[in-house]
Amino acid sequence: MEKELSNHYDVIVIGGGITGAGTARDCAMRGLKVLLVERHDYSTGATGRNHGLLHSGARYAVTDHESAVECIAENMTLRKIARHCVEETEGLFITLPEDDINFQSTFVQKCTEAGIRAEVIDPQLAKIMEPAVNPDLIGAVKVPDASVDPFRLTMANVLDAQLHGAEALVYHEVIDIIIEQGRVVGVKLRNNLNGEERNVHATLTINAAGIWGMLVAQMAGVKINMFPAKGSLLIFGHRVNNMVINRCRKPANADILVPDDAVCVIGTTSDRVPIETCDDMRVTPEEVELLLAEGMKLAPSLGSTRILRAYAGVRPLIASDDDPTGRSISRGIVTLDHEKRDGLAGFITITGGKMMTYRLMAEEVTNLACEKLGIAKQCETATTPLPGSEPKVETKKYSFAQKAAEGRHGTLNASIDSGDVTSDALVCECEGVSVGEVRYAVTKLHVHNLINLRRRTRVGMGTCQGELCACRAAGVMCGDDTQKAINDLAGFMNERWKGMQPVAWGDNLAEAQLTARIYQGVLGVDRLANERRVECYEI
Amino acid sequence: MTIETQTQNMSVNNFEQCLKCSICTVYCPVSAVTPLYPGPKQAGPDGERYRLKNKAFFDEALKMCLNCKRCEVACPNDVHIGDIIQAARIKYSTHRPSLRDMMLANTDLVGTMASPFAPIANPVLKLKPMKAVLHGVMGIDKHRTFPDYSSRKFESWFKKEAAPKQSQYSKHVSYFHGCYVNYNYPQLGKDFVKVMNAVGYGVHLLEKEKCCGVALIANGMPKQAKRQGEVNMTSMRKAVAQGHAVLTTSSTCTFTMRDEYDHLLGIDNHDVRDSISLATRFLLQLIEKGEIKLAFREDYHKRVAYHSACHMERMGWVPYSTRLLRMIPGIDFVMLESQCCGISGTYGFKKENYERSQAIGKGLFDQIDEANPDCVATDCETCKWQIEMSTGTPVMNPISIIAEALDVEATRELNK
Amino acid sequence: MKGEWSAMRFDIVIIGGGLSGLTAGIALAEAGKDVALVSAGQSTLHFMGGSLDLLGSDERGNDLFKPLDAIAKLNEKHPYKKLEDVSRLAGVAKQILERAGLATTGYATANHWRITPIGALMPTWLTLEGMAAIDDPDKMPWRKVALVNIVNYLDFPTKFLAAGMRERGVEVDVKAVILPEFQQLRQSPTEMRSTNIAKVIEQNDLLVKFADQVNSVVGEGYDMVLLPSVLGISSNEKAMQLLRLINVPASYVDTLPPSVPGVRMQSQLRRRFMALGGSFFTGDQVIEGIYDGNNLKGVKTAKLDGTVLEADNFVLATGSFVSRGLVADYNHVYEPALGVDVDDLGLDRKTWATVDVTEAQPYMEMGVATDHKLHCKRSGNVMSNLYAAGSVLSGHNSIKLLDGAGVDMLTALQVTENILNQ
Repeated sequence: MEKELSNHYDVIVIGGGITGAGTARDCAMRGLKVLLVERHDYSTGATGRNHGLLHSGARYAVTDHESAVECIAENMTLRKIARHCVEETEGLFITLPEDDINFQSTFVQKCTEAGIRAEVIDPQLAKIMEPAVNPDLIGAVKVPDASVDPFRLTMANVLDAQLHGAEALVYHEVIDIIIEQGRVVGVKLRNNLNGEERNVHATLTINAAGIWGMLVAQMAGVKINMFPAKGSLLIFGHRVNNMVINRCRKPANADILVPDDAVCVIGTTSDRVPIETCDDMRVTPEEVELLLAEGMKLAPSLGSTRILRAYAGVRPLIASDDDPTGRSISRGIVTLDHEKRDGLAGFITITGGKMMTYRLMAEEVTNLACEKLGIAKQCETATTPLPGSEPKVETKKYSFAQKAAEGRHGTLNASIDSGDVTSDALVCECEGVSVGEVRYAVTKLHVHNLINLRRRTRVGMGTCQGELCACRAAGVMCGDDTQKAINDLAGFMNERWKGMQPVAWGDNLAEAQLTARIYQGVLGVDRLANERRVECYEI
Repeated sequence: MTIETQTQNMSVNNFEQCLKCSICTVYCPVSAVTPLYPGPKQAGPDGERYRLKNKAFFDEALKMCLNCKRCEVACPNDVHIGDIIQAARIKYSTHRPSLRDMMLANTDLVGTMASPFAPIANPVLKLKPMKAVLHGVMGIDKHRTFPDYSSRKFESWFKKEAAPKQSQYSKHVSYFHGCYVNYNYPQLGKDFVKVMNAVGYGVHLLEKEKCCGVALIANGMPKQAKRQGEVNMTSMRKAVAQGHAVLTTSSTCTFTMRDEYDHLLGIDNHDVRDSISLATRFLLQLIEKGEIKLAFREDYHKRVAYHSACHMERMGWVPYSTRLLRMIPGIDFVMLESQCCGISGTYGFKKENYERSQAIGKGLFDQIDEANPDCVATDCETCKWQIEMSTGTPVMNPISIIAEALDVEATRELNK
Repeated sequence: MKGEWSAMRFDIVIIGGGLSGLTAGIALAEAGKDVALVSAGQSTLHFMGGSLDLLGSDERGNDLFKPLDAIAKLNEKHPYKKLEDVSRLAGVAKQILERAGLATTGYATANHWRITPIGALMPTWLTLEGMAAIDDPDKMPWRKVALVNIVNYLDFPTKFLAAGMRERGVEVDVKAVILPEFQQLRQSPTEMRSTNIAKVIEQNDLLVKFADQVNSVVGEGYDMVLLPSVLGISSNEKAMQLLRLINVPASYVDTLPPSVPGVRMQSQLRRRFMALGGSFFTGDQVIEGIYDGNNLKGVKTAKLDGTVLEADNFVLATGSFVSRGLVADYNHVYEPALGVDVDDLGLDRKTWATVDVTEAQPYMEMGVATDHKLHCKRSGNVMSNLYAAGSVLSGHNSIKLLDGAGVDMLTALQVTENILNQ
């Protein structure tokens, strides 16, 4: 990672969320010399803290036609280019007795207008298609929703950007924007792992830092009016449903239940919060209660299913520039050409939008960048598969862990060492993560610590939340600095606990006690760790 | 707002209650002897989470599970690990049972065919050429001796010799004799009738009895098992309606009909389940309630080592049989440490499982050698085959030991 | 059959088959009582390791050298405050283990230190024979140690262990051995666990081969060989045999769970209980008590449908949340077997747990409420013949105080005496 940086780039992209990663990819594919910088790890912000829903657009069809149209187009695109990140689950919009059934026809009509295939189905059929659905439903519409893994999607974009010559740095924070003669000419970076600072120059700097983009803009002396909106979600221990379940009504709290990998996720709430709190979001007991109560209306069995974790993200909502009060929120994609808007050349902000439309956002901002740089090459991101999603090759019979790894890495699974006893040894039993996969992630996927490893491989994301695997993984990853590895282990266990603590009852509490007995009682991790504090952004 | 929620976990077979403590892996007899089996934690709750996502995560290696349920007995969190594994086999396996498996599984059909020819079948099944054929063609291990087929089925004996005398008793039970008693070892059935009659109970057969289906489940034929189970349930319902308890002398048949019918095969057994009991349990409960008494011969002496059959252990009923045996004054009782014998019904008969089966049972065989008893007592017939073959020590059902030790006349007097 | 229940009678019925229940069971059976023990699955001994703690830390987190002296300073709610003579009971506990074939080093008068699988040193009371034990954490007894792992065995993190000892001035070399039989085991990627390795070595009589391998990789110049505790699953004999076959003094160090010495303790204690004529109801759960005023007459279990277990006295030794001796649902914490009173410290769900996992978590101190004689309570009334022992008791945090095994064994012995002296 610590290779020499170039003196000058065409573009610096700030932010390792899905928008930044997608933008870096698009720019690199157009032949630009790109540097992607991320202050923590990839997908630590809103990208890694949502439902993992590949919207069909149906949710927006009634209230926001434009978003709906964008969603369905991107939905179809991502199924093709990000096959290994998407699971084609399909989705239901259900009407419950307390909902207005008349909304259904409006909904279907608006979906159709937006080009979303919305098929009214018999509630009885819906119960057969998705046995977990609330059996009291009075109406159901089937739409092409799906689930998508944002960690994988982000990583695949970064990998492809690198394949096209981009450079990418994690744990590098922009601490200043360098302005010369009214033009942004680069950024001042701080390496958050060792504190070193340096300047990097570029013709263009693209601010893709999500909600933190308003702080980046501030450094450049421009003002963007954003509203951080906290959304809380709950993860359940296993898949209750195999189709996405939505409520057929105007979007409200906790009305989407998504099957993601081996779990399912209910969300979200929505509350405005101050920007200062965005680095350390915690889920309150009231939010847990609300999510549960509403979630049980979608699938009653959630009331008796183990909750693994609670987590929260912050949506980067942005005020419309054309509304002088700043109150009106733009839900769509917002590209701010600061040269035109603020007279500050060399600086562009891409924000608003949603994870679903990241590719479109990237295309828009890259188009603008290319225009400014005089590059004529067209966007190809909608047709070129991401690494891992190339056409599938049928392979030999797989072990559990290899199948699980293929789900995570797609065709790149072939790069993971396997077939010998050392590589096949399982680190994480819940999620089937082998030593080979850990080593692959460490060497190829920018893994610096256990939390990074979790985002790449699902280590510690199963029902035990790291009971044995965290220690095994720490042992496998450990280099010469054992103290760092022990601190990492202690930090990881605290990070896992952060999500468990708001839902610490039932089996989760028993699990927490067992884990504490192992890590504190048997191992004594807390005695060895000399740095107990976990950086809150990691959590 | 208080919501009545999250008060109980309701995942199927409690798979989500798994705390990943790995205790089950310590007690799995199969993973202890073969690296090819993924172990109960992986095959059970861990695998299940992924199978819910995609059935491609099903692994045919799950067929190596003995269904001994020792993982369930060990689990501190009441996860039905064995059930998860068996249910997954039923739901996802695409493997078709072989002719050999079908033959082994259809214990009653094969029994029906063999019994009339028992004088021929028994020696033939023991001949080396025949064993070679079975080993090579059928995949039945050459070390195995088929249990002898009796020339006269228990049912035939009962109808002719015993049935007419049963009406003289004032209290009655129905007897599910099972395939083993019917075809291979009618003596156990006769012993049962002797004991029950002595304590004042008349014995009746069910209107129609089919194999309980345990071998069909184990060999991947759940549909046939379900059909047979339904037949048994219908007969048992009639018996229960007459006020009969339905008794067995096999822990495995009992376990299957009480605890596997409902959730593995989807047979509704709730109305008869509580009436199905093991004979030793029935007797002990009556003794404890003061309703019957047993008198034993003074000249009876035997050193008996009790082996806890897996399904007996799973039912939690071992103390019923052991307390009953300990009531016999002439018995020098040894409790063997609970370990699987390795046969697990038809499992150990298969060529591919033979070595595993013997390795699993080794600990138990060593214990028996050390205890040096006159006989081993156990409530399971397949354990009997395995232990007799592997240790040379005779194995008896506790009911046969009771029958042997019983002072019939004195007992009759006591229970008049 | 329905509706009429038969009864099995015992002098004492113990609910819970872990360290506490087995200790009480053995002590009572040794006193000639007819004891039944109902156990819902295997116990937390399986992840405890090869040492038993009495009191390792004070309430501020300082390591203790003399645990008996520190007991006086404990909070009044601590279960030790209900013991008549901690020192004497600790001696009895050690003898109980000894008679069950579990020889230990250590005494209650002074803690010694065990090495954890990641190289920390932690104060403890008794350590099983053959496991590494250190008298003074500031004075390591070895100059040069060979740390020998099994190739590909992930549950013995040698890098951490070596670093922990080097920090204390010990020269450490890490070695690894391999046997073809282990590679065989490795084919199942999940099953390379301590207990499976133990079974392979013990079933195949690989002791000598294993020892030869260790001797050949270690060579000369070491004053201690440390091995992962992957031997002696059924008895200590094989574990000790291997140590004797190694040319240099050798000891075992705990691995990640499951713990072979823990499994051994469980099976040896159970074996001892059975040998004393105790009745063990395996894999069953008590689901209901039958009461006569403040007297518990009998208990019903999930599996003995139709039979009640009756006794003069009952002991509840079902453990904490992890063993389901306590259950926390969305609204409250309760004791599921008999519904006795729980001391939930007056906390509601929002305050059961705090944000930093390394802080003392309030839920850890929850447990059943008892009087000074360790009698349970029901709706505030003291139950005359129902006692509680072990981790199910409220008033202590075993992770912070390092007192888990001591509370398990000593409260069980106190309950035994309370019953015998009635």
